[in-house]
Amino acid sequence: MAAKKERKKTVQELEAPVVNLNVKYNTVDTEPKKERPYGREYPKSRNKMPEKQLFEFAEYHPQDAERTGYSNYSYWKSVWANFLKKKPAVIMSCVFIALFIFTFVASAIGKYDIYMATDPINRAYIAPNSEYWFGTNAIGQDYWAQVWYATRASILLAVLVSLGQIVVGVIIGLVWGYVRSLDRFFTELYNLIDNIPTIIYMTLIALMIGKNMVTMGIAMVGFGWLGTARNVRNLVFMYRDREYNLASRCLGTKLGRILFRNIFPYLVSVIILRMALAIPGTIAYETTLTYLGLMDITKPSLGMLLSTARSVFPRASYTLIFPAIIVSIITITFYLVGNAFSDACDPRNHV
Amino acid sequence: MSEARNLQTVDFDARARQVLSQQPLLSAKDVEVTFSLRGNKLVAIRRASLDLYEGETLAIVGESGSGKSVFTKCFVGMLDKNGSITHGSIEYDGMDLTELTEKQWLSVRGKKIAMVTQDPMTSLNPLKTIGKQIQESVELHQGLRGAAAKAETIRMLEAVGIPDPERRYKQYPHEFSGGMRQRVVTAIAVACRPQILICDEPTTALDVTIQAQILDLIRRLQKEQNMTIIYITHDLGVVANVADRVAVMYAGQVIEIGMANEVFFDPWHPYTWALLSALPQLGIKGEKLPAIDGTPPNLFNKIVGDAFAPRNKHALNIDFLEEPPMYEVTATHEVKAWLRDPRAPKVEQPHAIKLLESQDGKSKGTDPNAYHPHLDPNRQPLIEVKNMQVTFGSGRKKFVAVNDVNFTIYKGETFALVGESGSGKTTIGRALVRINPITAGEVYLEGQKINGKISKAQDLNVIRSCQMIFQDPMASLNERAKVDYIVSEGLINHHLYSSEQERQEKVQKALEEVGLLPEFSSRFPHEFSGGQRQRIGIARALIMEPKFIVADEPISALDVSIRAQVLNLLNDLKQKRGLTYMFIAHDLSVVRFISDRIAVIHKGRIVELAEAEELFLHPLHPYTQALLSAVPNPNPYLERTKQLLVYDPSIHDYSTDKPVWEEILPDHFIYGNQRELDGYRKKLGL
Repeated sequence: MAAKKERKKTVQELEAPVVNLNVKYNTVDTEPKKERPYGREYPKSRNKMPEKQLFEFAEYHPQDAERTGYSNYSYWKSVWANFLKKKPAVIMSCVFIALFIFTFVASAIGKYDIYMATDPINRAYIAPNSEYWFGTNAIGQDYWAQVWYATRASILLAVLVSLGQIVVGVIIGLVWGYVRSLDRFFTELYNLIDNIPTIIYMTLIALMIGKNMVTMGIAMVGFGWLGTARNVRNLVFMYRDREYNLASRCLGTKLGRILFRNIFPYLVSVIILRMALAIPGTIAYETTLTYLGLMDITKPSLGMLLSTARSVFPRASYTLIFPAIIVSIITITFYLVGNAFSDACDPRNHV
Repeated sequence: MSEARNLQTVDFDARARQVLSQQPLLSAKDVEVTFSLRGNKLVAIRRASLDLYEGETLAIVGESGSGKSVFTKCFVGMLDKNGSITHGSIEYDGMDLTELTEKQWLSVRGKKIAMVTQDPMTSLNPLKTIGKQIQESVELHQGLRGAAAKAETIRMLEAVGIPDPERRYKQYPHEFSGGMRQRVVTAIAVACRPQILICDEPTTALDVTIQAQILDLIRRLQKEQNMTIIYITHDLGVVANVADRVAVMYAGQVIEIGMANEVFFDPWHPYTWALLSALPQLGIKGEKLPAIDGTPPNLFNKIVGDAFAPRNKHALNIDFLEEPPMYEVTATHEVKAWLRDPRAPKVEQPHAIKLLESQDGKSKGTDPNAYHPHLDPNRQPLIEVKNMQVTFGSGRKKFVAVNDVNFTIYKGETFALVGESGSGKTTIGRALVRINPITAGEVYLEGQKINGKISKAQDLNVIRSCQMIFQDPMASLNERAKVDYIVSEGLINHHLYSSEQERQEKVQKALEEVGLLPEFSSRFPHEFSGGQRQRIGIARALIMEPKFIVADEPISALDVSIRAQVLNLLNDLKQKRGLTYMFIAHDLSVVRFISDRIAVIHKGRIVELAEAEELFLHPLHPYTQALLSAVPNPNPYLERTKQLLVYDPSIHDYSTDKPVWEEILPDHFIYGNQRELDGYRKKLGL
């Protein structure tokens, strides 16, 4: 109660008229600023002013002095402008977005869906024609439906897994880097997990828990955060001891707020870059897992299509070509976007 | 203790005659340098002209962004890639330097015109020994090889004052201190025996005592090798020390140039007036410094008329319309100001300029009616520090940063803590706001212990009562948050407002109080200049309504013209709010103006603590005396005749007679053993 009273008093003190001995800002003009060289109206040429007046003292406006120099540079605007300059990345992003939207359209306009009855005797490996636009697979299902379903499933899996990895990795990385006393713990945890090949973990999980998409997706997140966390931790070191963090500590700011208001914004560019590169990485990883037989093969995914097509490659080459083209588009897009974005984020390129 | 320099006097008139009788060695005419930056054109040098005469030291003074570095980089062909000379000529040795090809530059750069850069920490290769790096330059430019080159290198090391050069030859840069590295960089530049040596703020990153030694070294080398020196600096004390002639630059132009005595004692550009009168050395304690409002212009904008006009209290109407020509004051002194036009009204130079000549550097105007809280019989201690110790690391790497420190800060006073880099002054400041934990000892706030484990309510009280202002305005604000968030961070943390509207009102009030426009709250920090950013930092601390503020070198990273604004603001706030400051600084001249009492710290230990004037008049500890002797004085005559004292810690023999922290006079504390204390007492006539 006593503390409250005291606070009230000081607020009143604050409200006492502020005598600004240095600069009187109470008189700041509120009219919209016009484009003028120094915020003051003057005739364009000296001829309009009589010579006597030219050599009289001008009125002094302190707010003009205050206004003389600041830059209107904005980091994110420059990043965006620089990114737009990289035409291949921009074009490929448009292609990718179109591709993703088309996966929904394709399923709708296709004549069959993935649940089409199998008929391996009559319909196996029919080359693409007007009935089966992408041909059929080994058991006589429409490949068009298979490919687009797989594309959508793989992109969703890749995006969700990458997002999961990044979120977990960034949170752990921030705490790992900022809290000195936890550095040892996280370093040991990292070593413990990282020193055993993830394939071994994945095999164990697939065999013991199950091979469905959700389980494997969670497992991928469970090991994928390591790299991000380490990367973030190293970056946090650069910002940890800056004076503005000391100022926050001085003001009693809580750890979470320091991490997310003071440090996280500086890492956004790196995080987006990592995320962009993690998406094709996840698709490739999924392909590997399918090849090893660790993925659910009842629903099509790009990894599954590629690994089955590989065995019939010269005979039914179209089963490899269609998914391969799509994987290439995704990989190239995110590679270009990642690179373009990391270049655009580098303040040295903003010159 | 030894006297490092002989008395020397300067006869500026003789030098002026010498200048007038010569042809210029290097002559830059109407140089314009344009940078292209983010698609915009930035004119960094706006048709600046300069003549350099053989054997002289020309100092170029200006704030950051005035173009002083860029201008001189043109003389060695080292402009950054996105910059180019778009107009004018630089004549040297029958050549026009603006038209040299990269190949032709090789015979000029380093050989005839060499440069010493600002940062000794980054200008040496960490993977090569010091000897190798100097020898490279010796081999390249003097044509010596093998043993002869090595012998010359060792001679060079000796010449720049590095003890034990044979051993030092084999060492790497990390084994050298900042001052030593600057000597090495100087040795590399001088090894090619250049005709012109450009020194770009070579002492800015160094402590005052080291700075004084480097200035001595440069002066000595100049005499020995008959070099012509261009010395770039923003520190008028350094200018007074080294310069024969001074050129003042503002917004990419030379606005005043003349012999050092003319520029210091008879300046005619309002900017030079403002710079000189804003010096804390000339300020009277308890009165406001005549500050320059605002910030230097943004050179992206087209500048019409005199660039200084909007900040100039003596501006004429014509200053806003037309650029002034150069007016001659004397044969050696030129000024670019309309005030010198015969049609202009007659103006007197400001009072402070006249003080400069009469000032003897010893006694000093103090407002006799000024209130000194520590002299009040009812003084109340606000902060008490007892036997404080701060250590970093542990085991073998343990480092004692602050050792057994005792002091009391009284309510309402400004307590200054002065020391060189690495002395532990910032550590003490941070320990008081509890950023650095204390290893031993106690800290009391209004009689209550605040270190160690304390209650939550007490913790909040300490956070609100003790705040800090930081040194580097660039690093102390979160670039990715709006000013609104930065200023109200403390409020948000502790919910010190009842409604969103109240929070915003508090922010506006805090901004207004530090002299910023309330509309700034929606902007990001990068839109502001250093001085404005520093004021945002002050607003952030003020909004907590603290009683005690630790100001950690709040002006040392600011431009000269901005410093006075911040000092005035701190003094205003102190009067209005009854604040108590701990002012951490390395510059004694600033401290004398602002503080009531001064503590001098050396290697983690406070060696002397006294009332400000008392400390300046009767410094007792040899380290205090050495610090005082090195303080740059903005008076060329005094600065050049001052005696530099060097402190040698080995004079203390504490092996048998243990030192104590003793109050030798009321409020004058000193650290020493009984024998030393007896000596000090004798000196004081006790």
